Amino acid sequence: MRHLMVTSDVYIRSRWFEDIPVGEFHVFGSHTFSELEIVEFGKTYSPYVFHTDPVGALDTPHRGLVASGWHLTAMWMKMMVLYMERFADGVRDGRRNGAGMGIEELVWLRPVRPGHTITFTYDIIDKPDRIVRDRWGIIRSRNEAFNQYNELVMTFTIDILAERNPALLPQPAGSRG
Amino acid sequence: MRYWQDIETGETFNTPRLTVTKEDILEFAAEFDPQPYHLDTDAASASIFGGLCASGWQVTALMTRLLSETMQENNIATLGAAGVRKLRWKIPVFAGDELSATLEVTGSGPSQNPGMGELECHVVLSNQHSNPVIWTNITLLVQLRENQENTDEAPHGHE
Repeated sequence: MRHLMVTSDVYIRSRWFEDIPVGEFHVFGSHTFSELEIVEFGKTYSPYVFHTDPVGALDTPHRGLVASGWHLTAMWMKMMVLYMERFADGVRDGRRNGAGMGIEELVWLRPVRPGHTITFTYDIIDKPDRIVRDRWGIIRSRNEAFNQYNELVMTFTIDILAERNPALLPQPAGSRG
Repeated sequence: MRYWQDIETGETFNTPRLTVTKEDILEFAAEFDPQPYHLDTDAASASIFGGLCASGWQVTALMTRLLSETMQENNIATLGAAGVRKLRWKIPVFAGDELSATLEVTGSGPSQNPGMGELECHVVLSNQHSNPVIWTNITLLVQLRENQENTDEAPHGHE
């Protein structure tokens, strides 16, 4: 079954680059990190004692098991995708999904430990005036993650491509070479 | 063991290679980044990437694995990362790609965390064609030498 094929009417609910305003703020997801998932991620991607061994981690300067910072960013992505799927049906099709270009000023400020509940927010801070690969624009967002005590645990800025409205793109004078 | 004080600016480390399989890509995507271009070959070929590729966050995680293993094999008392000043995903990682990284220490400074110092590092993750996949400036945490005795005594304090 070609369930990934969607008809164009679904796109009505998706937004073009031009429709996304600077200043838009979303609280888009929340996740409680378990000891098991912290250890599994650590064993696969960041095999340090303080990410993989709850007992051994006590003897490190981290004073106990902490989630890998890259586990937090991976969870940020998961929360974002799940949120966007509710926001715009076109996400499941994929042809209109943009790509991340890069991040700046990522800081992990406090440890995330088993049982901590992390809430993710993003704030659209800029739309640089560039057209990427003929049909994409850049959405720059400031992202923050807070623990259950409302303490900031992670912050970063990311540039993500969003599709520009074809009707508003400059029309090429001739055929593209 | 080599501590923060023992690391010189300009030191360079090269990681071994790892191969990214299609199963790796699908597994990570299903858990953390369930977008069609990371999950479905047909949808991926119609996407911005032109083919099934790894989530950018899986690539940063794989870079971390290479670096953490290499730093530990070199007996450096690494304690993870404090942050990333800048990171660029240059090109996608497709199934079968082989990744390896080089890390150069570009600076050194104090940390807010007790018993730790920071190293500024420039890291390039490349594929089997020597094309840069990720280019980043990252801040690593390394244990301070004088903290070693305190750390060794900590278990007794708990008893």
